[in-house]
Amino acid sequence: MDQSRRNFCLGFGAATVGAATLSPAPAEAVAAREGGDPAHRWGMVVDVRKCVGCQACTVACIMENDVPENSFRTIVSTYEVTEQGRSGTYMLPRLCNHCEDPPCIPVCPTGATFQREDGIVVVDNTVCVGCAYCVQACPYDARFINHETQTADKCTFCVHRVEAGLLPACVETCVGGARIFGDLKDPDSTVSKLVRERDPKVLKPEQGTQPRVFYIGLDPKFQGKVDGTPTLWRPSPQPHADAYAGKENA
Amino acid sequence: MSIHRRLLLKTTAAGGALAAFAAGFSETGRKLVKGAWAGEKPENAISGNAPKPEFRIDPANGDIVLTSGQIVAYTGCIGCTTLCGVRVRVDTEKNKVLRVAGNPYTPMSTDPFLPYGTPVRESFKALSRFQEKGLNGRSTACGRGNAVLENVTSPFRVTTPLKRVGPRGSGRWEPIAFDQLVSEVCGGGDLFGEGPVDGLAALRDLKTPIDPAAPDLGPKVNQVAMITGVPDGRESLVQRFLQQAYGSINYVGHGSYCGGAYRAGSGAAFGDTKQQPHAKPDIANAEFVVFIGTAPSNAGNPFKRQATLISKARTDGALRYVVVDPVLTNARAAAAGERADWIPIRPGTDGAFAMGIIRWMFENGRIDERYLSQPNGKAAEAAGEAGWCNATHLVVVQKGHPREGCLLRASDLGWVTLDEKDRYGDKDAFVVLDPATAAPVAHDAPMTAATLFHQGTVTAGTEDIAVKTGLTLLRKEAMRLDLRAYSDACGVPADVIAGLARELTSHGKKAAVNSHGGMMSGSGFYNAFAVVTINTLLGNLNWKGGTIVGGGRFPESGDGPRYKLSSFPGRVKPSGIPLGRNVPYEKTSEFRAKKATGKAYPAKAPWYPTAPGLTTEWMSSGIVDGYPYPVKALLLWNANPVYGIPGAHRFAQKLADPKTVPLVVAIDPFINETSALADYIVPDTVLYETWGWTSAWGGVPTKMTTARWPVLVPRTDKLPGGQPIQLEPFLIALAKRLDLPGFGPDAIEGMDGTRHPLETAEDWHLRAGANVAWLGKQPVPDASDEDIAFSGVGRVLPALKATLKEEEWRKVAFILARGGRYQNQVEGFEGEKATHRFAKALQVYNEAVGTSKSSITGRRWPGTAAWMPPVFADGTLVSHVYRPEDWPFQLVSSKSVLVSAYTIGATRLRHLHPENPVGVNVEDARRLDIQTGDRIRIATPGGAELATAIVRHGVMPGVLAVEHGFGHKEFGARAHVIGGRRQPDVPEIAAGVNLNDLGLADPTRTGASVWVDPVAGTAVRQGIPAKLERTAAA
Repeated sequence: MDQSRRNFCLGFGAATVGAATLSPAPAEAVAAREGGDPAHRWGMVVDVRKCVGCQACTVACIMENDVPENSFRTIVSTYEVTEQGRSGTYMLPRLCNHCEDPPCIPVCPTGATFQREDGIVVVDNTVCVGCAYCVQACPYDARFINHETQTADKCTFCVHRVEAGLLPACVETCVGGARIFGDLKDPDSTVSKLVRERDPKVLKPEQGTQPRVFYIGLDPKFQGKVDGTPTLWRPSPQPHADAYAGKENA
Repeated sequence: MSIHRRLLLKTTAAGGALAAFAAGFSETGRKLVKGAWAGEKPENAISGNAPKPEFRIDPANGDIVLTSGQIVAYTGCIGCTTLCGVRVRVDTEKNKVLRVAGNPYTPMSTDPFLPYGTPVRESFKALSRFQEKGLNGRSTACGRGNAVLENVTSPFRVTTPLKRVGPRGSGRWEPIAFDQLVSEVCGGGDLFGEGPVDGLAALRDLKTPIDPAAPDLGPKVNQVAMITGVPDGRESLVQRFLQQAYGSINYVGHGSYCGGAYRAGSGAAFGDTKQQPHAKPDIANAEFVVFIGTAPSNAGNPFKRQATLISKARTDGALRYVVVDPVLTNARAAAAGERADWIPIRPGTDGAFAMGIIRWMFENGRIDERYLSQPNGKAAEAAGEAGWCNATHLVVVQKGHPREGCLLRASDLGWVTLDEKDRYGDKDAFVVLDPATAAPVAHDAPMTAATLFHQGTVTAGTEDIAVKTGLTLLRKEAMRLDLRAYSDACGVPADVIAGLARELTSHGKKAAVNSHGGMMSGSGFYNAFAVVTINTLLGNLNWKGGTIVGGGRFPESGDGPRYKLSSFPGRVKPSGIPLGRNVPYEKTSEFRAKKATGKAYPAKAPWYPTAPGLTTEWMSSGIVDGYPYPVKALLLWNANPVYGIPGAHRFAQKLADPKTVPLVVAIDPFINETSALADYIVPDTVLYETWGWTSAWGGVPTKMTTARWPVLVPRTDKLPGGQPIQLEPFLIALAKRLDLPGFGPDAIEGMDGTRHPLETAEDWHLRAGANVAWLGKQPVPDASDEDIAFSGVGRVLPALKATLKEEEWRKVAFILARGGRYQNQVEGFEGEKATHRFAKALQVYNEAVGTSKSSITGRRWPGTAAWMPPVFADGTLVSHVYRPEDWPFQLVSSKSVLVSAYTIGATRLRHLHPENPVGVNVEDARRLDIQTGDRIRIATPGGAELATAIVRHGVMPGVLAVEHGFGHKEFGARAHVIGGRRQPDVPEIAAGVNLNDLGLADPTRTGASVWVDPVAGTAVRQGIPAKLERTAAA
């Protein structure tokens, strides 16, 4: 996801948080799926209570997937929250939700974006023309245009690793153990149990996208209660031109 | 309910990609016409340029197929001082690291970690989707650990020996041959057209005193001094070279500008102010922990392990914890709810806070009396305790008595007669009171509790000596101020101090306090002593859920069990006074001479009898002023004191003057702020190219040694024999050129009497590995062929076979294949007690401290924990020199979760976190009309810097929070010219501000100085007085 777009922080600030729904996807969405093994439905549960904000996931994803510079397929948005005089840090790992009804797919004019039968939403970069309609359509800011390939880019759940029997890079290196990945079609999988037993939330449930990235420990009371503008600081356009001129060491 | 939200910049991604996106989007129409491949074509239609997975595993049966052209090797990281064991995935054809994650055999990266005997093949399964093993078995690298591989291919790496062209620091270098390097460094001569320079050969004078009038300074060889950085597992070889072979006493590490004040205070509590033992909370089993001046998951060591454990403990475990710090960090994760909390505190006042807690504990009878009253280890064991302390031991408090401040001994009472050399030593028992008879007895006599509180006299021959128990002295010190006064000093409300004290004392042994870098203030030593003393009063040492010293390491470089890596024929025992003056002033020639004139105090500059080596003092009065003697040659190994010591930046110009130090040689893979001032730079290898034997700094209950071995072909130039140029061949070549003992053919003796060469890095490190393999009850098993095939160890197998004996190489391969040697996790505790226990007495009263004096004022230091506001060397309160009305702010340094002092070159980290805006409290900002993103000017008595502001609730009012790792002037911030080729210009590397460039000198000292803690001699970066103004809007 491109960090400059919509300040990213707005993603959480403006995001609603709500109960997950696990109703089946619309028939046409299911019909359009291709590739992958229909025996599985890959998903992730993120326990935000365990996230330590170290960004290991962010960097591991970059290294694993050769994500272009200054772009991110996943990142941990980090906020200082002060509530009734009590300050704390809120850390929200974000990535493609691999929705059951993904809004990025219908808008794709070339069919480059599609969903596999195992639920992973991918982009065929040999078909994508980089029109960015999908980037606009995603309510989670999970997509960006790869400035090297000029095609749409996003999290693939490390599909090349999952198919090799491995875990996504972000999950493998999650220091706090917050990211849990597995098969939602397997009732005995860890993710299935957590979804069944822990009442996880999803981001922006009102969009009807039915995310398959779930969150434990996300507090719905924060939704929609942004006090003023989130103060995203960003580097000046010509960063640090004065870095030396400004020194006045005694 | 009002909810304020602010994005924490420290982890905000905010690169410059806006333009890229905007352009891409506006060109939608054109692209639709043009079709695909407006850009570069990646390898795979779906996975782009992601390389092939390192292996494939069948999720049904766990069968593994390795990927040809890649290896997964368990080795070590040096991205920060934690030194985790990692797994490195290498494209062997391109000699390129593809990705780094954790090694599942090591507690540094994994919880729970694999049993040591696990075959390497099984370790791969443990990381995979097979049976979902990889979820609980995941082994991680942190954000920095994932990114630091960029240092391998950095365009700023030094890969060939360099000699300066023009004056020092000019940024111009010429590559020279290795032989020329060795020849010039040893032989000296007119090396730079500036006149003759002594080389290491001429400077190795082991006989002639530096100063005949002060023979205690030692021989002239001490004028060759070496500053080192992160102890990355090669330091025993470096010490062998400098101290035991070359013969200089002057080898120093980075502790005095790292967490030295904490270690010093802890060392006082643990009874060893030189080695400075310390304990850490057993996070996995504790119920309540107060972190003071450290924040788990944000800082501390081991950084990543603590983060993993704290995350688990606050959700699945029993732990509640509170971070007491001027700055809010990720450690107070809001999502963890009541399990995690943050209490802001004024910088450098942790001692007031801790003494407030101690006072409350005394007042409310909430000290662990059963533990504290045991006079010796056996009595403690009989009482069911896991350790003991000297709370009951009597201290001589008779004013003017020659033994004032000393612990009363059996010989003082005439119970024993000992030779002078044994008097007051281990054979001379301490004295306690028998509570039944009130009679003094030797501390090691009773098998039951001794009197805890007492003040009175004991009769020694004909005289009565006033004595108190150590705990009585501590209580008196704690009661000196009331809770309100402690609260006023530290800014934490009195009821919060009391509440925390109540909570801390409500969990038996399963509660603890912990600290680290936040102690680096002008009161650091006593702050840390006070913090650690809370643990003593809780009686939690060696207990599961309490504090543990950890299992330590399998020592690789001692004498045996396979090779003598410590002793060798001709080994020099260095003598004299170290450059850091960390010896008693009262034993010096200077003292005697001054005393003869009637004015023994002040010394010319402070001495630190209870401290280990101090780079802080080396850099200032040592090197710049030549006190107590001038330095003739300075060696730097991956050290950067100019960047790392607050206030040391002002010595850069002095260092650049060859008259200050005639010869400066840096061994370093990069040109940093200090090595930029060298005459020569010797390229060192980095990260996964290097050998090294390391362990956990603390916090691991089991014994462990991480093996770092080269899983890459190093990118430095090769010597004729094919060896890469790096630290080891340089030292070996110097030693051979100088004909030093302990190097060259036959330099290493096997335990069986055979002799072996020390000619290469492998000669040393592989024999160290053999020692590690044979330590313990039985040697490690042999590596199987499969272990070797799966682990990538095949790369170094020829060296193993060529260097080691037939019965050794498979055992060392077993260790390398697993990235180290690790005691099994189940062996960490024996029931409720730690397996590896600190067996000596904790010191409620530390005699060495309580009998030491300030060499400036001649006044004694207190021997117990105490609250002491920051003072300069002559005892003047800092707040009297720099009054708060003139300097209303205080700077603090905070650790970065992403950037360490030498990782700014990693572009992926920079893009994630490009700068370190300075945290300003929201109320202060309102008053000064500062908004987030504004440019601000921070001035201290030591300098002024421009910075960017971030306005935060999570910063204590009156505090300016500066994250460490930015504000570089080198490491690529300035392009050097090497042999006519200019390095790339990457001005982003200079982003942000370095707090240390605002560090103070001590205005009460003459000559060069930096502000240090008066007892520990450690750098002050917490609580630097400052002014703040806005210079420009965002």
